[in-house]
Amino acid sequence: MRKFKCSICGFIFEEAAGLPEKGISPGTKWEDISAGFVCPWCGASKTAFVEVSENVAATVPAIQQEGPVEQVGEFTVGELSALFSNLAKGCEKQHLPEEMGLFLQISDYYRSTMHAASIAKPAPENTYAAESQAAMKDDGPPAASLHDYGFHAVSELLREDLSDGFAKANRASAAERDRGALRALVWSEKVSRMAGSHLDRYAREGDAILENTKVYVCDICGFVYLGNDLPEVCPVCKVPNYKMTQIGRR
Amino acid sequence: MPAVRNIRLCTKDCMCLYVCPSGATDTENSVIDVEKCIKGCRACVDACPSGAISLLPDAYPPQQPKKETVTDALRLLARSKAAQEKMTADIMESGPSSVTRQFAEAMSKSNRLMAEDLLRESGYMLPQSEEVRGLLESLTKSPPEGFPTDAAEKLLILLGKTT
Ligand code: SF4
Ligand code: SF4
Ligand SMILES: [Zn+2]
Ligand SMILES: [Zn+2]
Repeated sequence: MRKFKCSICGFIFEEAAGLPEKGISPGTKWEDISAGFVCPWCGASKTAFVEVSENVAATVPAIQQEGPVEQVGEFTVGELSALFSNLAKGCEKQHLPEEMGLFLQISDYYRSTMHAASIAKPAPENTYAAESQAAMKDDGPPAASLHDYGFHAVSELLREDLSDGFAKANRASAAERDRGALRALVWSEKVSRMAGSHLDRYAREGDAILENTKVYVCDICGFVYLGNDLPEVCPVCKVPNYKMTQIGRR
Repeated sequence: MPAVRNIRLCTKDCMCLYVCPSGATDTENSVIDVEKCIKGCRACVDACPSGAISLLPDAYPPQQPKKETVTDALRLLARSKAAQEKMTADIMESGPSSVTRQFAEAMSKSNRLMAEDLLRESGYMLPQSEEVRGLLESLTKSPPEGFPTDAAEKLLILLGKTT
């Protein structure tokens, strides 16, 4: 009997034990569980699970030849807005309300600059729908998205983070033993993977994925939880769930 | 080193009211009165059964040094998250239904939080740090149009007091 671990939150599914409360009886094979299975803790899809191997094989990290590091250059307005809103939070923790307000003022300045830039450009067209319908004709998935509204472009960026950005940052941080950086990367990579799976579902099913479902965002790590039974603690950063804020409909 | 109370942890057992020699803990809004608090006394911190009170430090040590290879990689990710925040914020405005906008809002907020965390780990964690001062100073020297220079200058003065 095998075990499978949720790569987002660490929940372990054991074939031997099953998950009777979800109607999966003990001894059920992983292959026989429906593709619609989701992690009971965090809601991640079945594909987010990886088999846990019993014999702990010594994992020798492959030595990667780093290409030239991309030039980072100046801060973007988006970066500055986030940098300053985070400093405002730092002041809040230090009980410095006046300083907090001033950092927020700077953060908001950059936020409005960023926003002004985006209002000028026309609303995104539903290009993804057309593209993926074309793809559908060839060979099935990815499913056509009639629900783009600009989300497809977000998915593309996210895919780059997941295929490239996190790997590079993890290697650089591990090489310097920067455990603070590694901590931030562990959280944001999990949050990103989960966001990627939400975006994929949204592209297929649109607003239906949120029918009868509440939406929460963890105030600490940004984990997006879609579901009605909030777990006790955030599946990613483990903060108590009163720090997970519900997003309403407007 | 004034005492501060975390209202969320406070179970209102009121030990701090009995032990405080200055009456600083007894206030109508549950916030310990900084003016009254005898700095460094810590009687309430030790007496609180809920671990709800702590003493704020007077000064902070320098931040941990960061390597450029790390901060560059973190910043590139933060930049991507900030871009995704903006893109989803646009959908939050233009989305066709309240559900679409709700989903976009959650994504936007999530991206902001990730960007914040990645930037904080790329050398901008402590508000009083050299790094933050340096950034504020460079912004006040050559401010972009409409930049709230007053706020940045005020911060430089205020943060100087707690370094
Ligand atoms: S002693 Fe602690 S728990 Fe009791 S009232 Fe004071 S802060 Fe609250
Ligand atoms: S540190 Fe001392 S003076 Fe200050 S609030 Fe606590 S008991 Fe009162
Ligand atoms: Zn999970
Ligand atoms: Zn979290």
